[in-house]
Amino acid sequence: MGDDLVVFDSVEKHFGSFTAVRSLDLKIQSGEFVALMGPSGCGKTTTLRMLAGLDTPSAGEIRLNGERINEVPAHRRQTPMVWQSLALFPFLNVRENVEFGLKMLAVPEQERRTRAMDWLDRMEIAQFSERHIEQLSGGQRQRVALARALVTEPSILLLDEPLSALDANLVIRMQGVLTRLQRSLGITFIYVTHSQSEAFAMADRVVIMNEGEIAQVGSSRDIYRNPANRFVAEFVGRNNILNGDVRAQPGQTGHNQRPVPDDCIEVKTSAGTFQAAFNGQPPGNGSAVTLVVGADLASVTAAQPDTSNHVRATVISEEFVGAVVTLFMETDDGTEFKVQLQQRELDKLELETGTGLWVSWDVANTHLIQA
Amino acid sequence: MPITDGRSSRLYAHLWRWPMPVWQLLFFLVPLCFMVLMSFWLVKNYRMEPAFVTANWEKMFSRGYFWNAYWRTLGLAGLTTLIATLLAFPAAYALSFKVSETVRRWIIFLLIIPFFTSFLVRIYAWQVILAESGVINAGLATLGIGPFTMLNTAFGTIIGYLTLTLPLVVILQTMSLSQVDRSLIEAAWNLGSSRVRTIATVILPLAKTGLIIGAVFCFILAFGDFVSPYYLGGSKPPTLSILIIDTTKSGQQWPRAAVVAITMIVTLLTVAFAAVALAYRSRVRR
Repeated sequence: MGDDLVVFDSVEKHFGSFTAVRSLDLKIQSGEFVALMGPSGCGKTTTLRMLAGLDTPSAGEIRLNGERINEVPAHRRQTPMVWQSLALFPFLNVRENVEFGLKMLAVPEQERRTRAMDWLDRMEIAQFSERHIEQLSGGQRQRVALARALVTEPSILLLDEPLSALDANLVIRMQGVLTRLQRSLGITFIYVTHSQSEAFAMADRVVIMNEGEIAQVGSSRDIYRNPANRFVAEFVGRNNILNGDVRAQPGQTGHNQRPVPDDCIEVKTSAGTFQAAFNGQPPGNGSAVTLVVGADLASVTAAQPDTSNHVRATVISEEFVGAVVTLFMETDDGTEFKVQLQQRELDKLELETGTGLWVSWDVANTHLIQA
Repeated sequence: MPITDGRSSRLYAHLWRWPMPVWQLLFFLVPLCFMVLMSFWLVKNYRMEPAFVTANWEKMFSRGYFWNAYWRTLGLAGLTTLIATLLAFPAAYALSFKVSETVRRWIIFLLIIPFFTSFLVRIYAWQVILAESGVINAGLATLGIGPFTMLNTAFGTIIGYLTLTLPLVVILQTMSLSQVDRSLIEAAWNLGSSRVRTIATVILPLAKTGLIIGAVFCFILAFGDFVSPYYLGGSKPPTLSILIIDTTKSGQQWPRAAVVAITMIVTLLTVAFAAVALAYRSRVRR
């Protein structure tokens, strides 16, 4: 980690009346693996393309190594990219594809060949060097695209959903290839994706974008456990989201006629009144807040639990993914609850669809979003 | 009863299948065979007699004026193809990459408009423009330059050929360039190829097939055209198409004209096949 390699300073991008990116401020250090994640149309790809010089910012400044690059044409930027479609040249063979960037830099033929073959070797596809692109599998093409982008030894690599065309097993393998590559090269990777698993598995820092703005920047764990706003809470992970307003401060009498503990407030939602932990200054009584409870942090029991946060709900449906089961439940007032638990725990409950159960969660695991 | 039992649906398919082959057989293959036969016939006292002699072939192929016309036609058509391809490319490039979809459609429509009017009418218009006392020379005269002889020259012929072929070449090139995958162009920029260089490194290799097809159409049209060399080129020295007219008019020498025509067909087929082979040459090495 070193100085800021890339700086986006109040960058905006408009396409006609459509605003793709609005007032983006972001600093990326050299050697960082950063993922830009968000739903389609959130501006993540436009951000990447502006860095590569394929789109020009409408306002603001982009700096690379401390220098403004807004006006630098794409071919002088040394910001190689791996495309979603890979964009390998069909009229060149594997080796010629990898040599392309070196050829543009006027590297002598012999050196070009050696360096290209080194990279193909490194990506374990040297034996296909004289093959036509069409004769390669998806995973092999991926490696050609990586070799082609990295052969010029850039300080940054841009990746635009490079794994989205691969099947699930291959995605996991390529994630390993990418993270090892990034660690060993020590260069900056900026990775655009709509896939949480890809972003969280690989990136040091995840940037969540929504409607052209940054919704949250942080480590995978940070974003997963402490969503900064309702959008992130809904977009990331599988969360139960409860809207309500603050009814009681620490020490005041709560709805169960007992005093609310220190560091806690009580919030009334349509599903019931619950307690939530807070940091710093508590929001005043009457202010609107959102409670977020991870589906994996909630539990179900047949008997009414002794904890302060619990609600009775009915099982609507179940979703099995391997050993983990997600129960979709509904309270009497129609609020939906999702609870994730192990298959073996579920077996003990012996439930059927329509069974009434108690959903409960720790006060400490109740994440509070203000306003 | 079902509407399409086996037999009537087969009949229906045949109804659509046969007109095209029948047409080609009656109006292309049969006349072609007849022309080949005719090239071996004799002309006596301005009348054709069926025979099987190679005299027409020997006569034409041993004459200097035939070969002069042959190389001249090949040269003019070749030069026209080169000029049309080079002139069309910037236009097609702009239409494919620089303008919006709407603008592109409108301009392609405008490029089709010349085909609404007779080629002959357009050539007459060129006569007015190119003549000794025509529009261009009158304009140049006010500047004290000229007059230049443009009518009845090879220059005039090429202008005529271009009038015939250029809009078509622009359309064919545009269609071909529009098919080029944008992400490949961007990938080339991204890897250090400037915009101009990308034309050579990526766009030409990808659009090669379409560009060659455009050139082939241009060559075929120019090679066989007789209106341009006749009205703008002054028909002297003759191209092969003019030679056919001259040969049939002077002494009813239809068999010798057939020799010229067959030579033209063979030349065009050779050029077309060579170009298509070049266009679709695969780079796959196993």
